[in-house]
Amino acid sequence: MELIVFVLASAMVLSGAIGVVLFRNPVHAALGLVLTLFGVAVHFVSMEAHFLAAVQVIVYAGAIVVLFLFVIMLLGVDRAEDLTIEPLKLQRPVAIVLGAGVTVLVAGAVVRGADTLGRETNASAPGDSNIRALARSLYSDHVLAFELTSVLLIVAVAGTVVLTRRLKKSEG
Amino acid sequence: MPEQFIAPSIDWFALSPYLVMVAGALGLLVVGALTPRWPRGLYSLVSALTATSAGVLAVFIWNDVAEMGPGTLVGGALSHDAFAQFVTIAVCAATALVALVTDAEVRGTVLEGPEIHALLLTAATGAMVMGASNDLIVLFLGLETLSLALYVLAASERTAAGQEAGMKYFILGGLASAVFLYGIALLYGGARSTNLGEIVARFQSTVALERNDSLVLAGLALLIVGLGFKVAAAPFHVWSPDVYQGAPTHVTAFMASVGKAAAFAAMLRVLVIALPFHRDDWRPVIWVLAIASLVIGSTLAVVQTDVKRMLAFSSVSHAGFLLVGVEAAGHRAGEQISGDGLESVLVYLALYSVLVVGTFSIVAVVSRHAGGSTDISVFAGLGRRRPVLALALTILLLAQAGVPLTSGFVAKWGVIQSAVAERSYAIAIIAMVSAVIAAFLYLRIMVSAWLADPSEVEPEPVPAMTGVAIALAAAVTLVVGVYPELLLGWTDAVSNFAR
Amino acid sequence: MHGAVDFPLLSMLVLVPAIGSLLVALSPRRRPEYAKLIATVTSVGVGAMSVWMLRAFDSHSGGFQFVSRHPWIESWGISWHLGVDGISLFLVVLTGVLFPLAIVGIDPHNDDPRRDKPYFAWLLLLEAGVMGSFVSLDLFLFFVCFEIVLVPMYFLIGGWGYEGRVGAATKFFLYTMLGSAFMLVSILATVFIASANGLGRITFDLVELAEGASFAASTGRWLFFGFAIAFAVKVPVFPLHTWLPDAHTQAPTAGSVVLAGVMLKLGTYGFLRFGLYLFPEAARWSRPLWLTLAVIGIIYGAIAATMQGDLKRLVAYSSVAHLGFIVLGTFAFTSQAITGSVMQMVNHGVSTGALFLMVGMIYERRHTRQIADLRGLQHVAPVFAAAFTVVMLSSIGVPGLNGFVGEYLILIGSFLTARWWVVVAATGVILAALYLLWAYQRVFHGEPDEENRSFPELRWKEGLVLLPFIGIIVFTGIYPKPMLERIEPAVHDLIEHVSDRTGYVEPQPAAISIDDEHGEGE
Repeated sequence: MELIVFVLASAMVLSGAIGVVLFRNPVHAALGLVLTLFGVAVHFVSMEAHFLAAVQVIVYAGAIVVLFLFVIMLLGVDRAEDLTIEPLKLQRPVAIVLGAGVTVLVAGAVVRGADTLGRETNASAPGDSNIRALARSLYSDHVLAFELTSVLLIVAVAGTVVLTRRLKKSEG
Repeated sequence: MPEQFIAPSIDWFALSPYLVMVAGALGLLVVGALTPRWPRGLYSLVSALTATSAGVLAVFIWNDVAEMGPGTLVGGALSHDAFAQFVTIAVCAATALVALVTDAEVRGTVLEGPEIHALLLTAATGAMVMGASNDLIVLFLGLETLSLALYVLAASERTAAGQEAGMKYFILGGLASAVFLYGIALLYGGARSTNLGEIVARFQSTVALERNDSLVLAGLALLIVGLGFKVAAAPFHVWSPDVYQGAPTHVTAFMASVGKAAAFAAMLRVLVIALPFHRDDWRPVIWVLAIASLVIGSTLAVVQTDVKRMLAFSSVSHAGFLLVGVEAAGHRAGEQISGDGLESVLVYLALYSVLVVGTFSIVAVVSRHAGGSTDISVFAGLGRRRPVLALALTILLLAQAGVPLTSGFVAKWGVIQSAVAERSYAIAIIAMVSAVIAAFLYLRIMVSAWLADPSEVEPEPVPAMTGVAIALAAAVTLVVGVYPELLLGWTDAVSNFAR
Repeated sequence: MHGAVDFPLLSMLVLVPAIGSLLVALSPRRRPEYAKLIATVTSVGVGAMSVWMLRAFDSHSGGFQFVSRHPWIESWGISWHLGVDGISLFLVVLTGVLFPLAIVGIDPHNDDPRRDKPYFAWLLLLEAGVMGSFVSLDLFLFFVCFEIVLVPMYFLIGGWGYEGRVGAATKFFLYTMLGSAFMLVSILATVFIASANGLGRITFDLVELAEGASFAASTGRWLFFGFAIAFAVKVPVFPLHTWLPDAHTQAPTAGSVVLAGVMLKLGTYGFLRFGLYLFPEAARWSRPLWLTLAVIGIIYGAIAATMQGDLKRLVAYSSVAHLGFIVLGTFAFTSQAITGSVMQMVNHGVSTGALFLMVGMIYERRHTRQIADLRGLQHVAPVFAAAFTVVMLSSIGVPGLNGFVGEYLILIGSFLTARWWVVVAATGVILAALYLLWAYQRVFHGEPDEENRSFPELRWKEGLVLLPFIGIIVFTGIYPKPMLERIEPAVHDLIEHVSDRTGYVEPQPAAISIDDEHGEGE
């Protein structure tokens, strides 16, 4: 059962990701992203991280991708870059070979080391203890990391201002 | 089940440099948004002062550490040791210098305002966190804070090259971050913790031969790739020439100084401090990266015609030098007497940060006068137009080449010394020979500045604050070069780190 | 001993020019005459100090004198350790004397007098570096000085040289820096290996290292070669000499004078002070290599000089040959030969310096250095020709002038231990006569043509600059004893040090019999 869910969810994630890259229409690409994010949410569910799954769906699939779609619609979907130009002829095949090689190596390492993986078990407790554990972890061990994400948000705010301000000026 | 929740104890004073930086950034944003445009230069001064005071606080914290010994902060998330304070001070110094230079670079453009400075300060905060992190998650967040701010800064100028630089940096940087994060995940799988102290403790207690390390090694490999990208070590350097060239010059200065310092500090944290028991696994990799960076950086630098590209490749070769130090640190990592490798890398970082900010500041002054061109020909005749500026450029370039009586020599000497002390003769010789090759490039710039006929007779205006930054950088270069004991006297402490 | 001297003479010799250089750099740009004044005062002061040191030097001691030692970079075991012995004494004096002559006597040839300022600043910095290299007894300090001289020389050649100056300056800088790159690694390795084998602590002190540390033969050889590459480039030893003709030809006159006069000696001095002293075994072992290269250099330099059409290039190649003699004497490992080498270092500095000076004068008058363009100068400028003759004869090594003493000692001393090399090298003496006399004949003899008829005679000022050179040439040639007796004790100590370490026995002239075909140790 677990395996079937895993395979299905992974298929969702991967096909969504491939779709994001390959679709010519940005709207379709954004929808591919939704599929990927849903797949990740399914993984979370299968690992009994229900809270994370919910957050994943609400925040990513719900809010962020919707925002993406807004932007795409507002800017117009017909702008497309011509990606068929190849500055270096061999680049693409070499990249495919190297990428596949790295994937195989990492996969091999994971398979070989699978039995050493530790199983953390506090996720198996029922009900809201999951959220409780999450909160406990966030506000004790990882409180600094949690706070740092707010610094990251400052960057996002200031960055947005910097990047968008000149659009206003150049138009007006 | 109402368990007692125990909040981690927080030593606010020990966190004060970070708080000051973030407060400075927020203050600039909020106050800047509510008030009309400030008088010229004030934004820069405020952020330079913020960075300086954070640096000064770090000095005081250093004293505390020296008295009470190293420890950890906020539930083991941050290290409270001289290493962290050293990186903080170096980052703050470089940030303050860049902030001074930024003023003239953005004045009169749409970018003038508090946001650029807020970005600089938050980026520096990220860098400081990387240097102090005692947890891979915290390290990653610091890295992302720094990187995100840098992506925006790189793209902040509305030129095609600037946009391209920002985009390239963003995509490749994002990929590198992803690789790095995957590395953390695998390492977590193998070590069952992201805390550096716990990682060390885990491997300390198991015998190497009986261990299945494949996850750790795969994670380690990915971490090295991610860090290699951030430090621009060959073969992960390919982004750097385009980004260095396309980004606004003050941002390039920031990238080359703070960005590199933070990434190397992170590398030391991960490799030397967290994974000393895998040193025989990562040391050969670093060896190869070091030699590739040295050779590729210095040879490709020579054939460039754009000064910023030259300096980009030269910074790849400097990364190679730093890696020589990392390699040296790898010989006895984790032992009681661990050699001077770590210390030499940090000294190199601090000195190089100052040097490179000074150099890029001069490039900024000259190129702005020449309408944004950074071709080597715009430096022609600088010695006639601005002899003092040309002299400062000469000092800084000679320092980059590693000529004695400059800080660059002290830095190189330290790194080579630690390599030779570990009997890594081959890498030391390759490093020195590639330094000679790279010297050709610095000579070319100097030839252009002093000996070529001027293409332009009007002397370039040197904005006051940029001038101060350049003077400070050149002064540090000379003073440390003549009397290195000033710096070396107190770097011994950095190898007594916490985890 | 001089022990009573409290005055930090050697530190002053190094620091005064450095400070002078700083003062020149800070002097007002509108008053270029200040720059020359400061430079003159500084360099004459340094020259006076060096001559005073010569007087105060205790000629019976082989050890280091005027030693000054202060901690500098304690974290790395580096100290400010200076001292002179008979080997470095005359090089220091030569430096002290040559610089004021170059600064006072040779105009920088500027169209723009404001450019005098950096010129003098660089020259003084160069003096500080050269002085520092000759007197430092700390490997780090030596390396710093050895490297730092590149910068002023680079700018002097590049800024005030002739047509091909930038290329020549760059070549000079990179070549020498490449050599130093190996030396740096070698210095560090020496220090760490020494601390592991016997010394027990990290120190860059030359004396402590040489006396306290012993290296395994193979290690010592590697370390020695690290040093030797740097020195061989600087000397330059064939086949690393290719930077020299360009640098010499393109350098301004003062640059050539200093380059030939003292900077090349950094290499030969380095061999003696750091090669033989630190690594006696390796130096002994690699002897055939150096002797062979030296002899090749002698012959090659002479032949190449013969074929030059450019007077300055000719002198440059003659330097390659002369320095070959010095290297030959150094690696002959006899007191006589090494004394001759030290002496020849000074002699070559004086005579080649004077030759470059006079070639510079010719160029200034005629704006050409091509031998083919010059003819019959003897007729229009007899005094000039006479002075040139003296200098040239000294360079050839004619008895009665200084060049003879050094070359003779080298050949005689080396004959004991390196017979066949000496036989070949001796032909170099003949070749030297050939190329110099032939050049002299072409330039000074014959009937002057239209362009050469107006060649001005030696001026008073020029004569005054040349006078010290000719004085030294004649005095040392006739009465070398004061010089020899100061050099010999130090050389003797050095040979003894080598003997202690390697069990080598210096052959005495009497001990050599005709049927001892192989000499010793070959």
